Amino acid sequence: MLRWLRHLCTGCCLGLALAVAAQPTPTQVVIVSSEASASYTQVNTVLIDALTRAGVPKAAVVLLSPSELAQRTKEGQLGLTRVFVAVGARATQAVLAADPSAPVLSTLIPRQSFAQLLQSSGRKTSARLSALYLDQPLRRQISLIQLALPQARQVGVLLGADSVGKLPELSALAQDRGMTLQHAKVNGEQPLFQALSVALDGSDVLLALADSNVFNSTSIQNILLSSFRARIPMVAFSSAYTRAGAVLSLYSSPVQMGVQTADLVLGAWRSGRVPERSVEPDDFLVDVNANVARALGLALDGAALRLALRRLESRP
Amino acid sequence: MKRLDIRARMVLAALLPLALIGTMFAVWMLMSRFDDLQTAYEQRNRLVARQVGLASEFGLFSGNQTQLQALAVGALQDSDVRWVAIIDARGHLLASAGNQQLAPRTDFQPVASAGTLPNQTVDWIRQPVFSSQTTLDDLFDGAAATTSVRRSTLGQITLSFSRQTLNDRKLNLLLGGGLIGALALLFGLALALFLSRSVSRPVARISHLVELIGRGEFGHVQSLRAQLEPTDPLYSLQERIHQMADQLQRAQDDLQQQVALATQQLRQKKEEAEAANLAKTRFLVAASHDLRQPTHALGLFVSRLAQLPHDAQTSQLIDHLQMSVLALQNLLDGLLDISRLEARSVQAKEGPFSVASLFGQLTQDVKDAAASKGLALRIHPTSAWALSDATLVYRILLNLVNNAVRYTQQGRVLVVARLRPSRRQVQVQVWDTGIGIAPEHQQAVFGEFYQVANAARDRTKGMGLGLSIVRRTADLLRLQVQLKSRLGVGTCVTLTLPWVEAPFATSSHGTADEVIGAELGGVNVLVIEDDALVRQALASVLQGWDMQVAQASGLKQARQHLARGFVPQVIISDYQLEEGANGVQSIKALRSDLQTDIPACLISGDTQPYLDQQARQAGLSLLQKPVRPAKLRSLLRRLVS
Repeated sequence: MLRWLRHLCTGCCLGLALAVAAQPTPTQVVIVSSEASASYTQVNTVLIDALTRAGVPKAAVVLLSPSELAQRTKEGQLGLTRVFVAVGARATQAVLAADPSAPVLSTLIPRQSFAQLLQSSGRKTSARLSALYLDQPLRRQISLIQLALPQARQVGVLLGADSVGKLPELSALAQDRGMTLQHAKVNGEQPLFQALSVALDGSDVLLALADSNVFNSTSIQNILLSSFRARIPMVAFSSAYTRAGAVLSLYSSPVQMGVQTADLVLGAWRSGRVPERSVEPDDFLVDVNANVARALGLALDGAALRLALRRLESRP
Repeated sequence: MKRLDIRARMVLAALLPLALIGTMFAVWMLMSRFDDLQTAYEQRNRLVARQVGLASEFGLFSGNQTQLQALAVGALQDSDVRWVAIIDARGHLLASAGNQQLAPRTDFQPVASAGTLPNQTVDWIRQPVFSSQTTLDDLFDGAAATTSVRRSTLGQITLSFSRQTLNDRKLNLLLGGGLIGALALLFGLALALFLSRSVSRPVARISHLVELIGRGEFGHVQSLRAQLEPTDPLYSLQERIHQMADQLQRAQDDLQQQVALATQQLRQKKEEAEAANLAKTRFLVAASHDLRQPTHALGLFVSRLAQLPHDAQTSQLIDHLQMSVLALQNLLDGLLDISRLEARSVQAKEGPFSVASLFGQLTQDVKDAAASKGLALRIHPTSAWALSDATLVYRILLNLVNNAVRYTQQGRVLVVARLRPSRRQVQVQVWDTGIGIAPEHQQAVFGEFYQVANAARDRTKGMGLGLSIVRRTADLLRLQVQLKSRLGVGTCVTLTLPWVEAPFATSSHGTADEVIGAELGGVNVLVIEDDALVRQALASVLQGWDMQVAQASGLKQARQHLARGFVPQVIISDYQLEEGANGVQSIKALRSDLQTDIPACLISGDTQPYLDQQARQAGLSLLQKPVRPAKLRSLLRRLVS
């Protein structure tokens, strides 16, 4: 049923895009979606709805796939576009490849991925190219640890090639909050377990950072099992990790990302500029794996934690 | 192939399909069960390997050798597991347990493999252990699509499994199946034997029954019928066979009765036929004997009559009368010969004799008849001698030549003897230029009273006894007679005699008539004859020859003549005399009275064989009635001389 709805929505969007293309109205917002999965479709739908509600003519919004974008670019049909919205890393890569004249907002993209794309394309963040990261700010993650596990004094961190750059910031944040960071670097040659053992050694909590070199579908099971056996709760960055066995996860939902993206697009549509610096998500959710929490003797409430975090960040 | 009896065949017929199906079923079941066991064994091995693999994942991830060792030892508790080894991705052995000798190579291989150790009783499974895959449907993974996440191999487990249990179970299954099969076969055999006995016994009974019927022992068959029980499986068949036996017995009885009846009838017919034949023989003997006396007298009277002077007309009548008497006498001679041959009173006296002497006598006897018919009778002289009974051979020749003369109207009759030294044979042939005999009659003419062209029974042509006498006499002497004839051209009859060398001293044998003898005139002759008519006729004939005749009806009268001084020079006596006396005794008595060996001859009408013998022993010539006067005269001349 869900899949059927998803296909229906995608069909509607594509139909709408075609209708816009067919009309003489100049295309002003081009949304390029990396894929048609549920999360992306949700972001796109929320984005288009929000734009439409904000007064952007429906015909002025076009949703394209990366290949369609390449085709349109080749045909020179995108000359009047005011804002390009790239949803996801693949879409961002495609839009950058098209080298558009209009400002580009990349959304739903991990910080590390965006950095790699900038580096590979030789660009920098500017009023014409900016991003809304998928990653939660480290500060928020540390705050969540502090809120959820107030007894935690030592935070274990596994750092891979994509996340090792965050170590200074993370160390500073931990130190600010009176916590120490027990970090271990993971490289391909050493068994993961050795680094994990180091990170877990004496730690009260294991903080998972988005780095596919460390946390991926094949490794997560054993990492979670190891931490669980060590009775060390793990705080992760995606609801999938909570389902897999992490006690807590902090993330932004596709709807939240869609809404925030729509705000940024409207701003760009109106001003012809995107934020000069990349933006982190404003809104977020906290998921709790109640079973694991109970097994570890923790009593956690995701909604309460979210509200507490939002209050902490002086948000309503 | 040795023949099987019916019971063995029935048992075979019952058991073979059972055994075949049972064996096939058992084999199929066993194979199926073996296959199941093997499959279960392999599946369980794979399952154990998978469980160990899964269980060892975290141990391998965490490098927990203690846990892995415990796992390995625990895995050994599973049945059939003999060896467990766990190595990490770098090939380091982290844990192992079990019998080291049953361990395969534990090199790290990235792919699963399985095999069997060389001893064929241990299987091994080698299986890599991977990290478990957890689906993370989050945007970070999607974002990291460019980074390939390789499924990492944590290590490898190797397990050895013994087939011992499997093989034991297979063996047990095989033994159990074999035992059940053998029991089933034994049961089937027992059942088949039991059932076959109930059929084979009645069949054997039927066989015995049929054998008895074949031997004709119906009484025994009847006794078996009483033992027949209605519960017998083949009761109906046996009952029908008994019915058949009854029918057969009845049919046999009927047949035996008919055969007995027919045999009796045949015996009766045979007896009748024999009686008829005997009657015929008796009749012939009696007729010939009773006819002989008057014919003998008639011949003598006519002969005497012819001696008297007559006018020409009377002389012609007397000639005719003589011819008729001669025909009558020939007829009687034939009847006499036949009756003697039938009575088997003729006994052959074989000895060497001169064929020429026979031919001489033949010329004497036949020349008149041939001359009277104007036929040329030629008898070629011969010097051959033969070995047989001269008297009987002469009769054969006489009959043959008489026949030739009788059936030849013109031309000639030729008698010739041909010597065949190479075969040691003398062939005497009688040729004529007569009417001949058609081929279809050439066998029949040797029968009695058979005449080809004499339907009217003209007695001047004889009675048809000649060739019959020839055949019978030749058979008696074991001589060969061949007849060749062409109708209207002539006939040739060949008599084949055994040839012998001529002896140095030739004896007369009394058959030849070389000695003409003295004249009979004045010679005293004593005639002893009980029949007055015959005596008178004989006396008149003798008197016609100028002989002095004394007549006597018996020995008594003869002695009276001697007493009156009559000295006979020759005695002629009938054999059968009055008062039971016979001629031989009478002559012997008279010779004794006169004390001289007076020549004498016997005349007889009997055909008894002993007569001939008695005469020979007494040294007497024997003349058969009717006696031809010429023959008598010839004999008397010889005796007197």
